[in-house]
Amino acid sequence: MKQLNRRNFMTLAALSGGALAAGIGGGREALAGSVKIPSVESSGRDFSPTTGKERKAIPTACWQCVTRDAMIGFVEDGRLKKLEGHPNSIRTLGKLCAKGQAGVNQVYFPDRILHPLKRVGKRGEHKWKRISWNEALDTVAGKLKELRDAGTPELFMYQYGRHKASQAATMYDFMGAYGTKTIGNHTSVCEAAKWTGQESLWGGMYDNWDYDNTDFVVIFGSNNFETHTNHIPTSQRLIRAKVDRGVPLYVFDVRLSNTAAKADKWVPIKPGKDGLIMLSMINVIMNEGLFKKDHFKFMRVTPDYHASTNDKIAAVKANVAKFTPEFAEKESGVPADTIREIARGFAKAKSACLVTYRGTVMHYHGADQERAAMLLSAITNNLDRPGGRVMGVGASWKHPSSPKAKVAKTLHIKDGFPGEAAYPTHHVSQQVWPMIKDGTHGRPKVYWWSCYNPAYINGDNKGVAATMADESIVPFQICTTIVYDESAQYADLILPDVTYLERWDWEDMVSANQIAEFYIRQPLVKPLGESRCQGDVWPELAKKIGFDLVYSSKEDFVRQSCEMTPGVKEAGGFEYMKKEGVWHDPNDKGNYGFYEQEVDASGDGVILDAQTGVYWNWKKTGAKSEKEATSAGYLKTSGSKGSYVAQKIGNKTYKAYPPNTSFLKGGLLDFYSDNFAAKGLPAFPTYTPIPEHQKMAKDELILTTYKVAVHTHSRTAHCKWLTEIKHDNPGWINPKTAAERGIKDGEAVKVSSQQGEITTTVHLTEGIVPGVIAISHHLGRQHSGVYGSGKTSPTPGGASADPDAKNIWWDKHGNHPNVIIPNWSDPISGTQRWMDTVVRVKKA
Amino acid sequence: MTKINKVNISRRKLLSSTAGVAVAGVATVAVPATAEAARKAKAPRWGMVMDLRKCIGCRACTVSCKAENDVSLGRFRTVIQEKTWGTFPNTRKAFLPLMCNHCEGSEKDKVPPCVKACPEYPGERAKFKTPDGKTIRYRKGATYKRPDGLVLIDKAACVGCGKCIDACPYGVRSFDPFVKAGKDTTKQAADKCTMCDHRIDNGIEPACVNTCQGRSRIFGDLSDPNSVVAKLVKEHNLANNVLLPEEGTRPQVYYIDPEGVLKDLYRKRKKGKLDHYMDQIP
Repeated sequence: MKQLNRRNFMTLAALSGGALAAGIGGGREALAGSVKIPSVESSGRDFSPTTGKERKAIPTACWQCVTRDAMIGFVEDGRLKKLEGHPNSIRTLGKLCAKGQAGVNQVYFPDRILHPLKRVGKRGEHKWKRISWNEALDTVAGKLKELRDAGTPELFMYQYGRHKASQAATMYDFMGAYGTKTIGNHTSVCEAAKWTGQESLWGGMYDNWDYDNTDFVVIFGSNNFETHTNHIPTSQRLIRAKVDRGVPLYVFDVRLSNTAAKADKWVPIKPGKDGLIMLSMINVIMNEGLFKKDHFKFMRVTPDYHASTNDKIAAVKANVAKFTPEFAEKESGVPADTIREIARGFAKAKSACLVTYRGTVMHYHGADQERAAMLLSAITNNLDRPGGRVMGVGASWKHPSSPKAKVAKTLHIKDGFPGEAAYPTHHVSQQVWPMIKDGTHGRPKVYWWSCYNPAYINGDNKGVAATMADESIVPFQICTTIVYDESAQYADLILPDVTYLERWDWEDMVSANQIAEFYIRQPLVKPLGESRCQGDVWPELAKKIGFDLVYSSKEDFVRQSCEMTPGVKEAGGFEYMKKEGVWHDPNDKGNYGFYEQEVDASGDGVILDAQTGVYWNWKKTGAKSEKEATSAGYLKTSGSKGSYVAQKIGNKTYKAYPPNTSFLKGGLLDFYSDNFAAKGLPAFPTYTPIPEHQKMAKDELILTTYKVAVHTHSRTAHCKWLTEIKHDNPGWINPKTAAERGIKDGEAVKVSSQQGEITTTVHLTEGIVPGVIAISHHLGRQHSGVYGSGKTSPTPGGASADPDAKNIWWDKHGNHPNVIIPNWSDPISGTQRWMDTVVRVKKA
Repeated sequence: MTKINKVNISRRKLLSSTAGVAVAGVATVAVPATAEAARKAKAPRWGMVMDLRKCIGCRACTVSCKAENDVSLGRFRTVIQEKTWGTFPNTRKAFLPLMCNHCEGSEKDKVPPCVKACPEYPGERAKFKTPDGKTIRYRKGATYKRPDGLVLIDKAACVGCGKCIDACPYGVRSFDPFVKAGKDTTKQAADKCTMCDHRIDNGIEPACVNTCQGRSRIFGDLSDPNSVVAKLVKEHNLANNVLLPEEGTRPQVYYIDPEGVLKDLYRKRKKGKLDHYMDQIP
């Protein structure tokens, strides 16, 4: 058997398992040893270990986490048996992580919900009755039609945890046609501060780390080897860079994560000090003259848009003067010499990646920490350059759109309480339920959530649960889910979702090599029971309410998208994607340095703004005349953001960094931000100590949370192969910290905060900074089926029993730290401050 | 599994009937069909190199093995052991992938301890086809070694005695609650890593190797000097970089370990216990 190549893979995917088996099955004994295994990675094929029959191979995509790896599913006699990375994917390079490998468990866990269920007891009484889909959708349609007919479509709120690509597009299409804009998400509990910080600068979001080309890597608060929003594509490239090319790797973290463990040096750091270290590195680099001038012309570091590079250098120096390594050492616990060493290495390297994630940004002023990371990258010319921190590239799909509703309104409960966050560019999802409880800004009459678990994943999750349980607050609650969980228990109607292994989608996650990959997800098996894909439900529900969508099913939506997306269409459209699963432009050289593109600024209506140096098209704004536009200027004319054409730098006009998000800005990297200054926030990246940490008593600790390699936050506890490996989450604590409290390894402790108290156990380890307790946040499930919570879900008609259930050997299920973390926001971005909670830890 | 006609022969008879052959009772040495074939028949020697520099402790191997081979809860066919040592802030942590070592067996008899312990070995006669089409005859058993070096279990021939489980110094074997022992259905069959023989036999690498994002697990033919594994063994001088070399079992899983952490990392089996072989994240 030859190594799988692109050509024979196509044939393979098109054939049925039976046809393939005919040539191979039964020949096992004869073939034994007769094959030379190529020394390269090869697969895309799989065989049954019991029958020897070849399994049917179908290209699809993962959904365990947002990375959404392209992969191959292997099916045997109609049952999904195995998943592996797609060998032709330029993102995954044929690899899949532990969570991805456990995707099989999503389909077949014994407590899976397979029928529409109607609540028959009080909320939270766990009394359910099976009903038909028709009855379920008639009920939903009746409620939604009433709100729409009354001119109040916004009283229908929809909130999702994980919707992406066509899953999101079909949902937004339905909501747009219906007329509600009260659509909630979850990004602010994930990493919103990171995006807000970036958007204020380069006008976009999502940094990729160009590990394939880098010469030096410094990571802050990101556990790239265990988890990341682009884990498999980036993580494998990082270990390859480190071992094969000897790229130095430094990891700043409060905890000795797997990532820190593989680094040249783990640099332990107190929580909330990452930005300070970066500013201190900038201090070293500026003072020692190690900066690179190249990127300064694209930077703005003072109110003046036209400052010379020398003026800018002087201003950066002045702004970071106080952040000496000695000062940073005092605040962070990181030795000044270590800061100097890493700063010098970073600046002197031909290229360098500066990585940040949740550990850095889920703090008070988290968005400003990200701005410091961008500044450090810019002064060393590592922004959007090969080997540096680059703007992520994902697939741009075209898709059909249904006619929009005439009336479209929103409830103002998505962006936090008034004044809570200055720039909630990704909303403030953790405050949706507190705001619903508060009621001042309106309450939905129908709340529908999907692939989301607000009563588990938010801070003060018990408070959220109590509000959801109260029938007088939101009168009708709908939950689309595969598992009975902390939130589903408070639904009035449960709709059985398909798993991602039973549905169609097109996918678009960012590539690690700057070349967009187009890929699709297709069903590997028929949906179990009566489970239905929401993309199939929307058209039917729309009809029942009284309007039509432009697609008839999710498959139809994906088909239409494939036939209208440039590149994919020419490659063969839907049929090609079904066979191949992935497509990328073979001539694409990778997208770097988009900002350097020179732009023609001579179009009709294009004028130069004297203050900012921005070329903008006044005809695309609200201005009535060129004269009015000129006198008001680019920044003061309404609707000017969409009129940006180019940035004048010297005698050239560059695309530069356009204001592609909610920030109105010029084309320069706004390290001096008028937007921030206008709201009383630091205009230039700075160090703002976390207020609660400044007032800590001697016996208090900081609580941080983290992820491990085998779980997502809330959607994998019912996956037996993952929970078997990680089912308990004792708090990590330094032996010194424990000794001060008379606590021994494994002992029970009470952890209390202003929000509440939990009892858990501790894991004593030298792999954590003293003064901190770190608790992973995947476990402590009230309901997540027998594997996740130790008890069977109280829902009728679940999946058939798993013979493995009798082999469960663990009786611990962990404790959830969110119970004691308040819902509180970064005042800049509205991001949830997971890493700021002050606690006391005592022997229980 | 392909049905093979069993030779109904007692253990005693079997031993006596093969006594005349020079290689009688030896697990690994093939019985060539002819003297001519003996000179030419050459099986691959499948083995694995684990590059500890590249193992990031992600557990994809552990889970992919569970899926590929439908391994029940409560036991594993491959695991990662992790260990943290040192004193803050000079703390270290490292990862060690473990699996069946597909041992060559002692220098003396070339029989791995698990095979030696199997009361059903040697059992039926079997043929092994080499890549160049030659045939090598060998003896199976409930636990046996194939001429390509894979130590395998024939669950249909297993009596569920557990002697092989006790005999493995690495503790990589356990009872399979899903499969009865073929020769004593009151008991469960023994189970362990097969190096994904069902994949290898079809020309694709084992599941754990396929999913290893660090390319820490490298699979191949150790007898082929041009294979990556053979080159790595040579280049890194790995002959003795195996687990428990003092046991004389001659494992065919080698570890690239430039920092010399293997000995400190490895949590050995405690006598009569298998809890060292449960993959757990603290």
